[in-house]
Amino acid sequence: MGDYAVEATRLTKKYKTRGGDAVEAVRGVDLAVRPGEIFGFLGPNGAGKSTTIRMLTTLLTITSGVATVAGIDVAAEPSRARQAIGVALQEAGLDPRQTGRELLVLQARLFGLSAGAAKARAQELLELVDLLDAADRRTKTYSGGMKRRLDLASALVHEPSVLFLDEPTTGLDPDSRLTVWDEVRRINERGTTVFLTTQYLEEADALCNRLAIMDAGLIVREGTPGELKAELRRRTGLAEDPTLDEVFLDATGRTRTRGAGDVQEVGA
Amino acid sequence: MSNTMSQSWLLGRRALLEAVRTPESTIPTFFIPLFFLVVNVGQAGRIFPGSSTEFLHGQGYAAFQLPVSVLLAASFGSAGLYLVEDIVGGYFDKLRATPISRSAIVLGRLFTEAVKGAVVTLVIIVVALPFDVHIAAGPLGWVLIIVLTSAWCVVFSGFLQLIAMKSRNAAATQSGSMVFFPLMFLTPNFVPRDLLTTPMQWAAKFNPVTYLMEAIRSPILESDVDWAVVGKGFLIVAVLGALMLWANVSAIRTYD
Repeated sequence: MGDYAVEATRLTKKYKTRGGDAVEAVRGVDLAVRPGEIFGFLGPNGAGKSTTIRMLTTLLTITSGVATVAGIDVAAEPSRARQAIGVALQEAGLDPRQTGRELLVLQARLFGLSAGAAKARAQELLELVDLLDAADRRTKTYSGGMKRRLDLASALVHEPSVLFLDEPTTGLDPDSRLTVWDEVRRINERGTTVFLTTQYLEEADALCNRLAIMDAGLIVREGTPGELKAELRRRTGLAEDPTLDEVFLDATGRTRTRGAGDVQEVGA
Repeated sequence: MSNTMSQSWLLGRRALLEAVRTPESTIPTFFIPLFFLVVNVGQAGRIFPGSSTEFLHGQGYAAFQLPVSVLLAASFGSAGLYLVEDIVGGYFDKLRATPISRSAIVLGRLFTEAVKGAVVTLVIIVVALPFDVHIAAGPLGWVLIIVLTSAWCVVFSGFLQLIAMKSRNAAATQSGSMVFFPLMFLTPNFVPRDLLTTPMQWAAKFNPVTYLMEAIRSPILESDVDWAVVGKGFLIVAVLGALMLWANVSAIRTYD
């Protein structure tokens, strides 16, 4: 394992079904994310993105393979690894009965900050994500976008070196989505490596320095958005660069045909 | 260990706040046990008048029924349902992604259940006092009853938390709380054990809630604490409590 912010070697996750059969959700993934990058992890539903991110963030046990974040082996030293990472998962994991401020203060205390430092950090983060006006309202009254921003803030209380975001804009309106993009860029500019999964290709195109496309538990493409487009253009002899959507469809073996006004997805 | 305790305290405070901010989940904890007290006394109070019923030691039948109500109140165990809500809503994972001891996540809630158990017991006893009830063993009796009931609250909440972590489902967790009803009815809840039929005596003998109920009843009815009876109650909650703590800590450490 080298000097990467996130590194995985032959990362595998097998589940046992109730019937006793083994399902391989992640099948030997190799990853290397450099410090300071925004790394995008794309794939269709069920590709294994969330399972991978949950293994990298110590929330799921690893069946085989090795993963490190900030140079720390997540299986061998999970507690140290958690100190180095921030996590915002698909569901904005918020307690509906706490106010935004209370939630951030508690989160900061759990990361070892003193009561005074936790209050100060909460205030700083509420300003960062523009939630000061709503800080003393219970989170159940927040809109989807506000919840996402608070979730992001709660992942940052301890100034992690790597931030994991699992589909951070799913379900948000376009305005809220752009706000979250701005936050992610701002966080990254402060030196935090960002590892995000998304189903939105324009999001990956707009935010990410490098991408990996996952399908059926395997990484099927990896590179910068420009490299991936150029590779497809070269291979298929297109006159101009394809879109990232076309790269994605090519990589995951899917094509789209338009029929009777509907978009239909069919296996290639 | 001290880290785990301070983290449990932080999370326990959060769970207390949760209880205070959700009065609709706390009110049935008072209402239903008091309803049982009124109904049971109404049904059997005239059969067992305090003046001529030896096992009442001069008190009203409500005094005999009081342990049933406090144990019922202590067995609502909302901790399990709140935990399912945390799991489904993603906050449980948020907590698991922090560097705290994972045991603190379950211990914090159990700490809160002990506090809630103590408060609910105190309120139910105070409400029962005007109905010809007094705690014969005095202040020591109050303390024994509250400690025993709080400890049982931790045991039963631990059981429900276990179901919550294993099932991750509110309906399954809610069903788990129903387990207390057969346990409660297979005890000397209406009359002392020696007045039960033989099959019921056998059922009560192997039911741990019997010993707990008798341990709570003893300081209510008897001015001299019967330590043999009270000791069995403490032994039951100590053994079951240790088992539940171990099971909860194991469950969260292996939670995937």
